Amino acid sequence: MNITAQSLITSLTEILGSFAFLGPELMLVLFFLLIVALDLFKSKLIKASLPWVALTGILISLISQIYFLNNIQGKQAKIFFSGLLITDGLALYAGLLFSVAGILTIVLSVLSKHLQVKFSGRGEYYAYILVLLAGLNLMAKSVNLLMLFVALELVSIASYLLTTAIKKQQDAMESGLKYILYGTLASGVMLYGMSFLYGFGGSLSFLDTAFWANLSRLDSPFFLVIFLLTFAGFLFKIAAAPFHFWAPDVYEGAPAPIVAFFATAPKIAGFVVIIRFLLQIKNNLATTLQDDVMLLVGGISLLSLVIGNFTALWQSRARRLLAYSSVAHAGFLLAALAALATNSIEAVLFYLSVLLFMNFGIFLLVQVFEERLQIFDIKGLAGQGKTYPLLGVLAIIILISLTGLPPTAGFTSKLLLFTNIWQNYSATGNQLLLTLLLVGLLLTGVAFFYYIRIPYFLFFKRNLNPEKKVVLGREDIVLAFISFPLLLFFFQPAWLTELIRQVVLYSI
Amino acid sequence: MDYILSSLIFIPLLAVLIILCLPKHFTQGIKLVALLATGLQLILSVWLYTAFDASATVQGYQFVQKLNWISLNLQSLGLLQIQYFIGVDGISLSMVLLTGLISVIGVISSWTISKNIKGYFALYLLLVASVMGCFLALDFFLFYLFFEFMLLPMYFLIGIWGGPRREYAAIKFFIYTLIGSLLILIVMIGLYTSAFDPAATAVRAGLTPASQVVSAEVVAEVQRQVAAGTLTGSSIVHTFSIQDMQQAANFIPDSILNILSEKQLWGYPVRLLAFILLFIGFAIKLPVVPVHTWLPDAHVEAPTPISVLLASLLLKVGGYGLFRIVYPVFPEAAAYYAYFVGIVGVLSIIYGAMCALAMADLKKLIAYSSVSHMGFVLLGLASLTSEGTNGAMYQMFSHGLISAMLFIITGVIYDRSGSRMIDNFRGLAFSMPAFTALVVVAFFASLGLPGFSGFIAELLVLLGAFSSSAVSGMLPRWLAIVATGGLLLGAAYYLWALQRMFFGKHWVHPELKGEPVMTDLTKREYLMLVPLAILVLIFGLFPSLLLNKISPDINYFLQSVLQNR
Repeated sequence: MNITAQSLITSLTEILGSFAFLGPELMLVLFFLLIVALDLFKSKLIKASLPWVALTGILISLISQIYFLNNIQGKQAKIFFSGLLITDGLALYAGLLFSVAGILTIVLSVLSKHLQVKFSGRGEYYAYILVLLAGLNLMAKSVNLLMLFVALELVSIASYLLTTAIKKQQDAMESGLKYILYGTLASGVMLYGMSFLYGFGGSLSFLDTAFWANLSRLDSPFFLVIFLLTFAGFLFKIAAAPFHFWAPDVYEGAPAPIVAFFATAPKIAGFVVIIRFLLQIKNNLATTLQDDVMLLVGGISLLSLVIGNFTALWQSRARRLLAYSSVAHAGFLLAALAALATNSIEAVLFYLSVLLFMNFGIFLLVQVFEERLQIFDIKGLAGQGKTYPLLGVLAIIILISLTGLPPTAGFTSKLLLFTNIWQNYSATGNQLLLTLLLVGLLLTGVAFFYYIRIPYFLFFKRNLNPEKKVVLGREDIVLAFISFPLLLFFFQPAWLTELIRQVVLYSI
Repeated sequence: MDYILSSLIFIPLLAVLIILCLPKHFTQGIKLVALLATGLQLILSVWLYTAFDASATVQGYQFVQKLNWISLNLQSLGLLQIQYFIGVDGISLSMVLLTGLISVIGVISSWTISKNIKGYFALYLLLVASVMGCFLALDFFLFYLFFEFMLLPMYFLIGIWGGPRREYAAIKFFIYTLIGSLLILIVMIGLYTSAFDPAATAVRAGLTPASQVVSAEVVAEVQRQVAAGTLTGSSIVHTFSIQDMQQAANFIPDSILNILSEKQLWGYPVRLLAFILLFIGFAIKLPVVPVHTWLPDAHVEAPTPISVLLASLLLKVGGYGLFRIVYPVFPEAAAYYAYFVGIVGVLSIIYGAMCALAMADLKKLIAYSSVSHMGFVLLGLASLTSEGTNGAMYQMFSHGLISAMLFIITGVIYDRSGSRMIDNFRGLAFSMPAFTALVVVAFFASLGLPGFSGFIAELLVLLGAFSSSAVSGMLPRWLAIVATGGLLLGAAYYLWALQRMFFGKHWVHPELKGEPVMTDLTKREYLMLVPLAILVLIFGLFPSLLLNKISPDINYFLQSVLQNR
């Protein structure tokens, strides 16, 4: 009796102490409640201030992330909430990226005419973004299967709601419904896999060595099935083939800022979780099982690369094209992870950081063209580059970066990624890695072919029915700001890689 | 004069900035800025040419500038080091001179451009800067950066200012070159993960303080330690420096491209595969049959000045890449595949010439003649003899001058009549006598008449190809004999075109737009054609002018290739 009371007290103090590490998430939840409360007022002034309130919330959470990042140096990663969550470099860096993504989402939403004029329930919209961010942060910090599931569901539900933010729009509802159907299916499959993991591993914490020791005893095909089932949820979030079917529809139906966010933040969170799993597999699992996992990850990567790049070739709408190209990006990132080597984490984080700016840049362009100029097809872009030269030039920078050509950070990130794959290939002599390297490089050529169609129409084709020029002010400036890092991190990649290196040192 | 090479690259870039700041309607100012920038570039490159010391010792890069640019810590892999490393030697010298010259001619030729002048000249100067950068870069990454950066301006220059099928031609050009550069990228990644910079590694490993110059003994010591496996992992500095990649001692033991590790892939030695990839990458640019099909399209659709730049400079980047990177870094593969490279070269010579013979469009004829002439570069290089390699380099320079003339000539005809079809004209010599004289010079120079620069180049190449079997044992004699047939075909298509278009009774197809008046050359056209004609003649009569400057380094290049094979 006494002993239980004692342990209860220690648990309670541990839990109370744990709140200190939850600063960013708590801030986001607090501002979520604030927005919900403010939304009840009818005053126009308050309604108009809601995005700025949300922005403040994210900024405060960003500052606390930076505070933790500064403090973590020299200290160890910290597990808290009795083994549910961890704060380490990986989680905090991901949190940093989430915050930047959140800020850009809100900036894009403020610039969006659709979201500002037509649309009721603005309060909810910004509130959901905050919840989504909190969920993503938790997902990146989870080291417990159950916690992971809860965080993932939080992200999913907020995502479903955001997809359908503009309720009056028909295809938004359609895409929302598709997203929910696919999403719940993926979650269910993942939960099924997790139940196996729990059953055979005997623990919910995947940092537990006993957990992996138990799993090591499984037969290889059976383990692979469990592994694939569990990964279904993560692969769904990063839009890797064959779990990518939601992407084109959601990309087409959801508001542009939200799509940019989906293309970036859940992908980062998904990769953080995948990295955590793969590292544990690398450290704790029998080598035969490791080889199987490598084969599986490599196979999924190959599939994503091929499906993403080749399907993107046939798309006539920019949003669908970008959806498939996002599948291809997932393929590239998985290729680097297929070696299960620690050295690829830095390259993956660099790639994801650059991807963030590329995605928000390209979707701001999509938004400008759709809302200001009523252009939805790539063909409709004809001649617009001459009417809006600055927009056109920035579009070229972003697309070149997406393709991965110099002088943009997209090239540096691909170079680092391929270097890692090459290095791991020379170290292991695994033919799978070489195949991934060659396929990835050659598909860059294919990727170029569909990306270049956008500048091709922008500059080469004549605009047959020129309309009056719309004055763009703020969009130009924001876009320039978003594209600037793409050039900066080409000429000075060390500024980012040094940060990432520091961060990775303090990760599990 | 430490910054002369940098200013060669950055003057056009500065001019781009100035042009972007000028108002759109201030067209004369924009043109003038472009002319001044390229003129200054020409003056500097001529100065560079005279100041270049050919007597200086072996493999001397001169006017070197070396700055650390990007260094990335790759942890267990060591440090990735990218340098702003530029310099000039006998191999790049003639190309730099050519670039300075042709850029000015190109600006003069662009004077008549009327569509969106600001954008045109900005892209034009960007292209010039990146071509110049390509010829000066001694760091593979820097080279690759400039190499890729040539694509975009070219793509837009063809795609916006080109002829009726410009979009198709622009995309085709881009896809071909991009695939080539991806192949180069694969090898580049392999090379820099395998090679290291001994001097920087010495500093990083603490063998020499950072302030001191690393001595040759320390370099040898580092190389020995790395080879022995005592210096590994994070203390190694990986380099993109082409200079370092040329020495087998600068490769990490057991790395995939180390010559001693003899790694194999699908039963092939990796280094041979790497050579093939690089070779294809540059061969697309050169271009070599059968990856040449982008060239006629690009030439036909491009506006005259862009055709000039494409033929005179961009093709040379392909050949220059073979000289600068492929052969020195993979000498044993170069020797192994010499036969193959020779055959491909001869194939280009003959096939290009046959196609040229069949063309009805003068510009296409010249485009195919370019393919044929660039085949000589390959043949000379493959022979791995002193005559052959010097001839190959001479051919690059000489073809740069001659093809510029030829494309300006088609431009002259096209400007007046809106047509380039050979059948549409007859007896032009009557209405355009001065022009015809210059055409004769250009055609004869191109077909290799003694007295013109083309003759020297092709003679040297053929001499090299003939003597190869005896001297270096690379090429059989029959290849040289077949290649000589290319000269015959060249004479045939040029003389036939000359006869059809310029001789006989004066006649111009009456249905050409606006009843063209075939007036003789304007002052502007004289300004372009006459200097080129004079240069072609000078370099045909006094080959030592160029050879004295370039051959010491080319011979050294040849020796190092032959020693390491």
